[in-house]
Amino acid sequence: MSRDPYATGLETALAEIKSLCPGIKASFLFTNEGTIVAGDSDATVDTKRALHSFQSVSEKASPIGGILKLSIAGSNGDLQISQANDMYLATAISKDADEKYLLTITGVIVPTVLKLLKTIIHTPAPPKAAPPQQLTTKKITGFFAGDSAEVDRKILTEWSDFFKGQTINTIQIQAPNGKTTRCKVKAIDDERLEGKGLIRIPEKTLKTLRVKEEDVVGVKPLAP
Amino acid sequence: MSSLEDPTETEEEKKAPKKKLKGKNNELQERLRSIKIRQGIIGYILRTSRSASIDLKDPTKIIDYAVLSSTTLDAAADLSETFELGEIQNILLEGKDAKILLLKVEDQRLSIFMDRNVDHEKIYRDLGM
Repeated sequence: MSRDPYATGLETALAEIKSLCPGIKASFLFTNEGTIVAGDSDATVDTKRALHSFQSVSEKASPIGGILKLSIAGSNGDLQISQANDMYLATAISKDADEKYLLTITGVIVPTVLKLLKTIIHTPAPPKAAPPQQLTTKKITGFFAGDSAEVDRKILTEWSDFFKGQTINTIQIQAPNGKTTRCKVKAIDDERLEGKGLIRIPEKTLKTLRVKEEDVVGVKPLAP
Repeated sequence: MSSLEDPTETEEEKKAPKKKLKGKNNELQERLRSIKIRQGIIGYILRTSRSASIDLKDPTKIIDYAVLSSTTLDAAADLSETFELGEIQNILLEGKDAKILLLKVEDQRLSIFMDRNVDHEKIYRDLGM
């Protein structure tokens, strides 16, 4: 089976780092658009779920100038997601590992390999997406309102069918002015609003898109 | 330690844990006040399940910071579960312009916003963590 040489090169680098540093529980690389480019094959973690969590933060991070690094220290281990060239490298390490040593190694080797590969191989393809739907906006208000948009359950089912039964968690919304944003999505739970071609969007997201209630926006699901 | 009520406990004794918690809260507020005036500190958000205390230098950014803080805490909880990190001790989110140190203190969620050049480890230590 032929494999993307870019991904193969990166996976080899990650596997080498892991063999050098057994304290690494999992590591993978992904693009700003949310495509996993490479990961160590032994890892059993749900990388798509992790990506989804990271992207929910990434979309809200403009007040601090985007994300360069996200570090989480836990009682059993640490996770670090850091920018490496135009990608992100996620590394989960066990508590007893030498964190500084590991992160120095990954922080040096991965960007170097990335740079090298970029000069000789093309960049990976963007994520595939279904054709957009035109939906009318309704505002969801509240100071600590969630960050998920809501669409008809029927639409979610259609999208799920498009992606061979996989659950759709993220959508891309495009405003008439051309601005786009990504957000989590769930079904509208108010029966009175179902079947009307609506999309309920948190107020903050409406502001980001610079659209008002009753505007029509393009909405498309992103590959799970 | 058991959480069951002791029938012989006096009213004063029953109130003791609350008093202790209140004392801790006051201590935390005190420390936050002293941290907030340091150079490079943008402000903080301290949330409980029922209320939020917000002190930011630029009030126009309150909603943006509140949303980012809340989203980061939720995402970190999810990531901790995914990677089996255990109980979260602290979270650091760094951007090009600023960074946020997020912590759980008792039942409160604390987010401290600061410039990138601020020593967040010192802030963490000064909070008594």
